[in-house]
Amino acid sequence: MTPLITRRGFLKGGAAGVAGAALLGAAGCGAESASAGSALSVWYWTGSISDTLLGNVQKKVGVKLEPQKIGGDFKSKFMTSLAGRSYVPDITGINSDVATYFPDADQFVDLRKFGADKVKDQYLDWKWQQGVANDGRMIGFPMDTGPTALYYRTDIFKKAGLPTDPAEVEAHLGTWDDYLAAGKKLQAAIAGTCIASATVNDIFDQVMAQSSKQYMDRQNHFIGDQAHVRNAWDISVKVIKSNLTAKTVSLTADWNAVMTNGKVPCFVGAVWMKNFLGPAAPKTKGMWRVCRAPGGAGNSGGSFLGVTKYCKRPEDAYNAIRYLESTKNQAFSYQDINLFPSTPASYKDPIMRKPDPFYGGQVTVDIFGSAAEQVKPFYFSPYDDAITPAYATELGNVESLGKDPDQAWNDCIGQIKRTLQHTGVI
Amino acid sequence: MATTSTTTPTTLTGTGRQTGRRPSTGGRFRRYLPLYLSISPFYIIFAIFGLFPIGYSLYLSFHSWDGIGPMKFVGLAEFRYLVSDTQFWLSVKNTVEIWIISTIPMLFLALVIAVILNSSIRFKTAYRIAFFIPNVSSLVAMAIVFGSIFANNFGLLNGLLQALGLSQVQWLNDPWGIKIAIAVMVIWQWTGYNAIIYLAGLQAIPTDLFEAAKVDGANVVQTFFRVTVPMLRPIILFTVITSTIGGMQIFTQSQVLVGNTGGPGGAGMTMVLYLYQQAFTKNDFGYGAAIGWGLFIILLLFSIINWRVVQRTGK
Repeated sequence: MTPLITRRGFLKGGAAGVAGAALLGAAGCGAESASAGSALSVWYWTGSISDTLLGNVQKKVGVKLEPQKIGGDFKSKFMTSLAGRSYVPDITGINSDVATYFPDADQFVDLRKFGADKVKDQYLDWKWQQGVANDGRMIGFPMDTGPTALYYRTDIFKKAGLPTDPAEVEAHLGTWDDYLAAGKKLQAAIAGTCIASATVNDIFDQVMAQSSKQYMDRQNHFIGDQAHVRNAWDISVKVIKSNLTAKTVSLTADWNAVMTNGKVPCFVGAVWMKNFLGPAAPKTKGMWRVCRAPGGAGNSGGSFLGVTKYCKRPEDAYNAIRYLESTKNQAFSYQDINLFPSTPASYKDPIMRKPDPFYGGQVTVDIFGSAAEQVKPFYFSPYDDAITPAYATELGNVESLGKDPDQAWNDCIGQIKRTLQHTGVI
Repeated sequence: MATTSTTTPTTLTGTGRQTGRRPSTGGRFRRYLPLYLSISPFYIIFAIFGLFPIGYSLYLSFHSWDGIGPMKFVGLAEFRYLVSDTQFWLSVKNTVEIWIISTIPMLFLALVIAVILNSSIRFKTAYRIAFFIPNVSSLVAMAIVFGSIFANNFGLLNGLLQALGLSQVQWLNDPWGIKIAIAVMVIWQWTGYNAIIYLAGLQAIPTDLFEAAKVDGANVVQTFFRVTVPMLRPIILFTVITSTIGGMQIFTQSQVLVGNTGGPGGAGMTMVLYLYQQAFTKNDFGYGAAIGWGLFIILLLFSIINWRVVQRTGK
């Protein structure tokens, strides 16, 4: 009878499924890369590498790539593949938290082996240093950078009697104190105006982005309780006390509204904020300008490419990376998907010098390019991701609960030291 | 598989009832093999994706591990740190607070809705579907919508307050504002689900009880509190237990509304969000596993309390 056959067929199918699962499990045990055949697999996320360039690699370098756009939590997925030692990509994108891989730098190929040092001069020095682990092993090859600048609205600056020409704004708002004074002036002219794009953490992060010292030194000493961090903290507290933070969450509908209606007519942000500001506040087209940030040049974000130790043909992988991140192709990536180059020579490329209508026809590469060249080398430690949330939390407490700033600072440092002791770093 | 072709249809229909002589153990095994095979996918998948991770997380909680390098055995150090970790206890307090301010109004509302749905109104099925839809909609999408409602500057709710001449509230900047926003999301999502369960319970109450109450001259409110609620007690306890388990695991709402740090004052930091933050943003997987087991013990305590309550009211 028919139903009987169907049922048996189903059972057989089930048994085959079980066997299949077992095979899959067995395959997962072997340490192997995710590359299929002779192609080298590349893991990247949306907007991190130009798809056009990836498509050109085979023709130009003779290396077959298999690009895989990884959605969702990229880092978790990459770490899972490393922990499982299977399906590890040959080439991977690494975000600005490249230092978190330094304790496990042996998972990556040292790119100096293939002569990376020979092209070092073409790249921004601080960016290059960022991809080098403490033992000198180079695990991250520079991709894009995130130089910061002051974004401001000319219409609102004019209303408040502030200068509007980039050169004049730059001269007028040279320091963070100047910026705070301008904030008070804006607030006096238009009640409720703010100078931090979301919460006070934006100010703290931006001041820290300009500092050559961060939270740990290369010898793993905690330096996050020293004057350079306290300075960022004190500036943030002043901004809170003057009631100049918009208290919104970045990149939400509320933030879009704040940007559109002029509640926040200026903020310090990285070059990639351009990608968000345009779609967030299309009505403000032509009103924005950028100029050198108060306090000087800084960097926020930017990524790297690394070759994992599971890669069977690391030299080919390196050649593909060299091609993707050449001076010419970085300029192309800027035009294609707005990635800001880590190669200073690209800044002179005509395709980077097109006037930007959103910024009233300003050639913004002049601002961001010179910022990128002036950034001081800094050291991100593997523990920064564990350290920085404490400052954010305690500044948040000062901002919204009115907590005493000194008490908050002490709690913050105490919390960080506890975390670092737990991790076994100090 | 070849021998299964000789088995009688009785076995294949799944009753497995024996007729006549007893077969040998081997024969019995072969006879039941198709049955075991047909239920095996669940157990195999559970063993791989359920049982193994549970066991492994216990193993992990005695180690210090950054997710890539070698694991270091640290004994009970993770648990010692957990007990003295103020952040963890804050997350426990937050979770319990959010659970209380969401569960009580939610269950009350669900009960009222169920009573209304149970009365003779038109389009009953349409209402039932409408109330259940929030339960199956995407939590992340919902959290974004609620984020716009509770937004600090130009949120819908603040617009409404302003229109009524009241002052604005910075919902997502205030510890209680955050908790209320999260609780409202939980209420929105689960009220309909609980209402459907109550409705099933209501339909099991004999109608003569209601008729008797009517004859005795009880009004609607009296009937609700003296007949409906006592008769529904076992169902109410069931919903309390399921919402306790759900409420202790709040994560997505907090993460999407206020981010991985839990927002101002860490007010939106729930136990599961803290676990996620420690393991996946701070790469401290050993500690993350220890938090998971801390969560297990707290859930166990809540379950024992619930069970005790059920036992007592059962007498």
